[in-house]
Amino acid sequence: MQPSCSHCAFRSDRPFCDMSPEATRGFDSIKEQEVLAKGTLLFAEGRPARGVYVLCEGRAKLSLCSESGKRLMLRVAGPGEILGLGATLSGDAYEVTAELLDTAQVVFVKRKDLLKFLRDNPLICMEVVRRLSDDLHGAYDRVRSIGLSRARRSRLQRPRSMAS
Amino acid sequence: MLSPYGLDIIESCLTCKMRADAIFCDLPDAALQSFEQIKYATAYPKGAILFVEGQAPRGIFVLCKGRVKLSICSTDGKTLILKIAEAGEVLGLSASVSGKPYELTAETIDPCQVNFVKREDFLRFLKEHSEACLRVAEQLSEKYNSACREIRSLGLSHSAAEKLAKLLLEWTVKNGEGAKAEPRIKLALTHEEIAQMIGTSRETVTRLFAEMKKRQIVQAKGSTLVIRNKTALKALATT
Repeated sequence: MQPSCSHCAFRSDRPFCDMSPEATRGFDSIKEQEVLAKGTLLFAEGRPARGVYVLCEGRAKLSLCSESGKRLMLRVAGPGEILGLGATLSGDAYEVTAELLDTAQVVFVKRKDLLKFLRDNPLICMEVVRRLSDDLHGAYDRVRSIGLSRARRSRLQRPRSMAS
Repeated sequence: MLSPYGLDIIESCLTCKMRADAIFCDLPDAALQSFEQIKYATAYPKGAILFVEGQAPRGIFVLCKGRVKLSICSTDGKTLILKIAEAGEVLGLSASVSGKPYELTAETIDPCQVNFVKREDFLRFLKEHSEACLRVAEQLSEKYNSACREIRSLGLSHSAAEKLAKLLLEWTVKNGEGAKAEPRIKLALTHEEIAQMIGTSRETVTRLFAEMKKRQIVQAKGSTLVIRNKTALKALATT
């Protein structure tokens, strides 16, 4: 039996975790809670999506890789974030690689269980949609910063112009 | 019936023939009926702007027919085309859900039929129909996926040649010609627009196409591009 999310002290601060008591019970029954060591790969890009990871504590690094092996760091995810959400919902491969930066407690939920859970809990589904929208906004911001400051010089200049 | 743009306006989603092919539109009947109540069916000419980046979100646009160019713009006026959206896609989704300004500019490149839904109506609709909510999540996931692809190609490619080769290969797959030895692509975009898709200049795209033609990698037949040497193109894409 997994420790229940209802005893978690951080619950009320985190929009996804702050569910109704019934929903929490439902979530408890489908989650797998584990503590993973620093440096663990939660998932690697290109691999079929098995499910989502909710980061209870600790941080995870999200990065992208090119065919030639060059890596691009996307961002660092913090406690309360849901990782692998997009790929899990669409059933595609994970689009990024997630690696733990700290020894962290995570909750894993299988794709099939998550889909059923979301269908039964429309409010949480809305929260998930909101999360995805935020992720997408972040990704577009990144596209803008990479794609539209073509010359390396202009990319370096930006912080200076913001300071002035 | 002959309509001004050759558009055949679909008034009701319930009788729409293309419904089954689109993720968002293929909703259960009950959800579709309430969607019917809140949508406005509108038609736009070519070159119309549905929404502009930075504008407060009014609502979502479901693209029924035609294609829409999605782009982002830098402060100094440089444009980057993210995607050409096709029928069945929902535009302005993430902004409407989160309430943040539209993150893209959407401009029609064909005469289009669009179903508009006001933001408040749409949010209420999602709350009431969990099936629709899941579809929206799926659409957002796909968009996120393609944004990640875009970041990868922009941030990790070495050269414009590599990015152009990748784009051409992507188009062959999209046209269902991926398995053929000599795939054909119908070039619907100008060199300028292709340049904006891969983040380079129009001159570079023209030069790259000329080079590829000289090396017999591609051949132009009117507006159709025939890929003569797929192996060489793939080699260009992975350098």
